[in-house]
Amino acid sequence: MSEPTVSLQHLSKRFGDVQAVSDVSFEVYPGEIFGLLGPNGAGKTTTIRMMLDIFRPDRGEVRVFGGTLDEQAKERIGYMPEERGLYKDQKLEPTLIYLATLKGMAEATARERLYEWLHRLDLYEHRHKKVQDLSRGMQQKAQIIATLIHEPDLIVVDEPFSGLDPVNTRLVKDIMEEQRQAGKTIIMSTHQMYQVEALCNRIVLINRGRVVLYGEVEEIKRRFSAHALVIEGQGDFSNLPGVLDMRRQNGAYHVALAPHVDAQTVLRALAAREDVFIERFELAEPSLEDIFVMVVQREGDDA
Amino acid sequence: MRNIGLVIRHEIKTTLSRRSFWLLTVLFPAMVIVATAIPQWLAGDALDEANVLQAAQQSLAHIGYVDEAGIVKALPPGIPPDTVVAYPDEASAQAALEAGELDQYFVIVPDFLESGRVVAVSEQFNVFSGLNGAELVKYLVSYNLVDRPEVVGLLLDPTPKETRVALAPRPPRDEDNPFTFFVPFAAMFVLFFVISMTAGYMLRSVTQEKENRTVEVLLLSLSPRQLMVGKVLGLGVVALVQMAVWMGGGLLAMDRARLVTQIPEHIQLTPGFVILTLVYFVLGYLLYASALGALGALAPNVREGTQFTFIIILPLLLPFWLNTAFVSNPDGGVALVLSLIPLTAPTSMVARLAATQVPTWQVAVSLGGLLITTYGFVVMAARFFRPDTLLTSTSLSLRRILREARG
Repeated sequence: MSEPTVSLQHLSKRFGDVQAVSDVSFEVYPGEIFGLLGPNGAGKTTTIRMMLDIFRPDRGEVRVFGGTLDEQAKERIGYMPEERGLYKDQKLEPTLIYLATLKGMAEATARERLYEWLHRLDLYEHRHKKVQDLSRGMQQKAQIIATLIHEPDLIVVDEPFSGLDPVNTRLVKDIMEEQRQAGKTIIMSTHQMYQVEALCNRIVLINRGRVVLYGEVEEIKRRFSAHALVIEGQGDFSNLPGVLDMRRQNGAYHVALAPHVDAQTVLRALAAREDVFIERFELAEPSLEDIFVMVVQREGDDA
Repeated sequence: MRNIGLVIRHEIKTTLSRRSFWLLTVLFPAMVIVATAIPQWLAGDALDEANVLQAAQQSLAHIGYVDEAGIVKALPPGIPPDTVVAYPDEASAQAALEAGELDQYFVIVPDFLESGRVVAVSEQFNVFSGLNGAELVKYLVSYNLVDRPEVVGLLLDPTPKETRVALAPRPPRDEDNPFTFFVPFAAMFVLFFVISMTAGYMLRSVTQEKENRTVEVLLLSLSPRQLMVGKVLGLGVVALVQMAVWMGGGLLAMDRARLVTQIPEHIQLTPGFVILTLVYFVLGYLLYASALGALGALAPNVREGTQFTFIIILPLLLPFWLNTAFVSNPDGGVALVLSLIPLTAPTSMVARLAATQVPTWQVAVSLGGLLITTYGFVVMAARFFRPDTLLTSTSLSLRRILREARG
């Protein structure tokens, strides 16, 4: 594997009495879309801010592009924070030009490239409008332009699909995939697990400031496959032993099991009940969402 | 450095492109002058005998009086007889008022000589009018209380021809010239509003970037201190533009009206005054922009930030409230102390410099103190401008401000 674009080693950060991040380590490589996942308040944003040299870590080391971040290296990064991030009361075009020039672009080049992006994302006609007069989806697309206009090598996006309709979601996914194929490194933080499954090669899951899962998506799913079931049948399937989460989809129950419970335990419990009639019982590959819920709930129980 | 330049340009372009900036720059001074200066000017003239007579002669108003004390024997010369009319009792005066023959009437009560009480009756009273029928009645009563007509003028204005002899060689103050009042007031006015408004823009600029989270994107390209420097310098240029509009506009208007030649000799609008005004402006702006910038760095939004603005601006406002102390006695104790205290010095000393010849040692002490304080405020503001303060949404409280200030 090539040199990592981002390497975080044993990062820790405390704010007053709160340990926001504790001993977080992971690496992200060129040409991959990396999922940075975790529940709200888990420490994802603090981790991103330390990665981007906005916050200094109390402990640990951050290496980006093989070294510490200097001014030139920062110009190779595109960062889109969650929601907002643009001047609401200013017009779209000068706002995006200003942010692009802060990334080292000449104004003329920035304007030329901006027009290409505005055309592509269907915002050209709105370039003289104030940002606050654009719809939420348009603002989101404008933020994506602000993140990508200077052709960064490292792209960090927080909830990139927020507020987008299915057509624009597809468009943004295509852009992300395009950037990945061009060899760019993309770190994506989102709660939309199906987007992570569709786009990300690898993920890290942070909970309560600590890394609780890290690796390739497929490998993680395999690791958790013994703990997911699909059950179909008639009757009441609630109150099964060791079930962390159960949701009904297309007439079948998708069940996530606690780590210490296996499928045989559930099968035996079902067989002993007379109020259910089983038509289908099989081991399933869990979705990332199941895994997310399983891990976060387990952490909560352990705390 | 390049990015600081970009922030400076951004702040200038953003502020100058706001309609509210130009509206304030053009309309606000006019409103304040109308609301503050003119009533004072009129009030200052009110007790002058010639003005009373002139107003009575020119006035289309009619007033009546009921002399229950029996002191009015005759009308003073120069007052048209139909302007001030005597009525035998209040009922007839009230009937005349209701019939629209009078604008107001006065009842001089029977025990007037003991109590000094006069009752004024009118359809309505205008609080802004500096001169009304009361002045005429004062004149009428004064005239009838003394035997010698020439004493009446002295009762109204006991020292009409005061000659002041200063031991120090300085030009005498011409108290009757309106510019004696207007020029120091205008200098103080311009300094106060330019500094407070542009420092206010600083607060708004910082808090808005916090509120819309732009600061998070900016901090990837700029350090917090670079951001602060860019904003302070950019809005400093805006402040200079505003000052140029006000001072230049004022001088141009005076020049057009051929008023510049009427500025009395003791008003010092020399190149030295202009340079010192600029120095006080720059230091005052840096001090207050740093203070409000620091406040903006802590405040989670514009609304919470502005709650504390008044407290911070208060020292700058104090001399503005006490402007009569600077106009009537610019070398007096109040004016001297306020011009030496760093937080009040920018407006106070400029008003004094416009009004009188300030001893060099006072300017030196004032500037020295202001320079040290400004440096302290800039250093403190730089300490407030940190990623954690700029990215937090923690609510603002006095305790938090003091804790941050202590470091």
